[in-house]
Amino acid sequence: MSGEPFGKGEGESGAPAQPGGAPQTYEQAAARVEAIIRRLDSGEASLDETLGLVREGKALIEFCAAELQAVGGALEELRLDELVERLERESAR
Amino acid sequence: MSALPSSSAQERPSGIPDSAAPGPFAVGEYAAALRLKLRSFQRVQLVGEIVNLRLARARVYFELRDAGGALPCAAWREDWEAMAVRAGSEPADGMQVVVAGGCDYYPGSASASPGFSFAVSDLRLAGAGDLLARIERLRKLLDAEGILDRQKALRRPTLPRTIGVVTGESGKARDDIRAALGRRGWAGRLVWGFAPVQDRHAAPAIVAALGDLAAVGGVEVVIVARGGGSLADLLCFCDETLCRTVALLKVPVIASVGHHTDRTLLDDVAAVSCSTPTHAAEAAVAVDCVAARAALTAAAGRLSTQGRRALLTRARALTALSRAPAAQLARQRAGLHQQVREMRAAARRRVQEERSRAGRHALVLSRKVESTRHDARVRRPADLERLALALAAHDPQRTLERGYALVEDGSGEAVVSAAQARARRELNVRFADGSVAARTREP
Repeated sequence: MSGEPFGKGEGESGAPAQPGGAPQTYEQAAARVEAIIRRLDSGEASLDETLGLVREGKALIEFCAAELQAVGGALEELRLDELVERLERESAR
Repeated sequence: MSALPSSSAQERPSGIPDSAAPGPFAVGEYAAALRLKLRSFQRVQLVGEIVNLRLARARVYFELRDAGGALPCAAWREDWEAMAVRAGSEPADGMQVVVAGGCDYYPGSASASPGFSFAVSDLRLAGAGDLLARIERLRKLLDAEGILDRQKALRRPTLPRTIGVVTGESGKARDDIRAALGRRGWAGRLVWGFAPVQDRHAAPAIVAALGDLAAVGGVEVVIVARGGGSLADLLCFCDETLCRTVALLKVPVIASVGHHTDRTLLDDVAAVSCSTPTHAAEAAVAVDCVAARAALTAAAGRLSTQGRRALLTRARALTALSRAPAAQLARQRAGLHQQVREMRAAARRRVQEERSRAGRHALVLSRKVESTRHDARVRRPADLERLALALAAHDPQRTLERGYALVEDGSGEAVVSAAQARARRELNVRFADGSVAARTREP
């Protein structure tokens, strides 16, 4: 692990903004993607709306994929006692 | 005793002469019969103080005493631990308890000593030792303070990147959590906060581990798990300091320490309470990453299809629009042609109308001409004659013919007064048959 073992997770700051502008979680993004696909499948969306939804959906899918990617590598296991010890050593220096 | 075994004449030595007691019997047979007899005694509840409590691997032994006497008691270790949990505290020497059970006898063997005991099947702490009541009071107090709701209000991530776990280092919970996360397809960062969860003194170590996990940051959810061990260990999860610490944490805590029937205070305080470490791991990572990846791929595919379809539709619309000018021109041209045709037709109609009107006028005119010609030919000569006769009536010549004479000056102008005649001197007097020159004499 590098010098900043517990920096702010990307998921907390890297979420795409919703139309409202608020950052969102994986769950919200996934739910929105489902809603978008339901809307598209209904065939009720106008052409302009469809293109807008597709654009929004692609951004959300990229966000979700990044979130899954972040926990899709190899399991990293740390011992709290060692971690605390090291952090204390670093802060004492 | 009718239940006693009958004597066997073959191997048994002869009895005591002159004794009234039956026998001799084999001791093993007698001991077995005694056990049956003792077990047939009514089951009762006894109250007394625990003395000399000993926990063996499979059995628990103690004496129950009061001022009047004592009784050796025994219980199966597994049952004893369940009783301790139900009692809310681990029974210990000196505790006043109520036990339920019945008499039993271990008949022993050639190599094992026999023993009588009161087989304890249930237990309740009496008096001040009643921890369960104390825990219930604490639960009500924490509830009244809102401590039980704080964790529930925290936002719990469905796909955390870092999970903290407080559990025993050698416990089974560790493997269960790791396996459950593996099944979820989750491979983020796990921080193990190992703490003893084996006895009632574990609470301070658990509190410390929780504090450290919260302090290092980045940990999005914490699991407190207890795998294996005895049921009596649950008491440490009813610790007031532990409960208050958990309530103050900003990180959601998932508890998996209790059982369905034995709820600890930590279960009430935590954001989520699970029955097993496996369930706790699944609650920590609500998203099944394996399924989510598949779903995401499918969603991306559908979105892409919809996008292509939409683009195709737009392209068609644009193509239709690009064709529009030609179609418009064609429509306009056709319209113009029609208008031209209509105009021509209208013009033709107009010409014909004009022509027919002109014809009618011509006819009228020709009729008028005819009429005029007729006038000129027939009516006018008569009129002229009439006019000529009228004119002739006023001709001076006619007057001269009737004897009158006309006096004119040298230029032919009529002289109509005596003054004019005196002024002129030279005059001409015209008669019907000719003129005579004359001169005035008066100056």
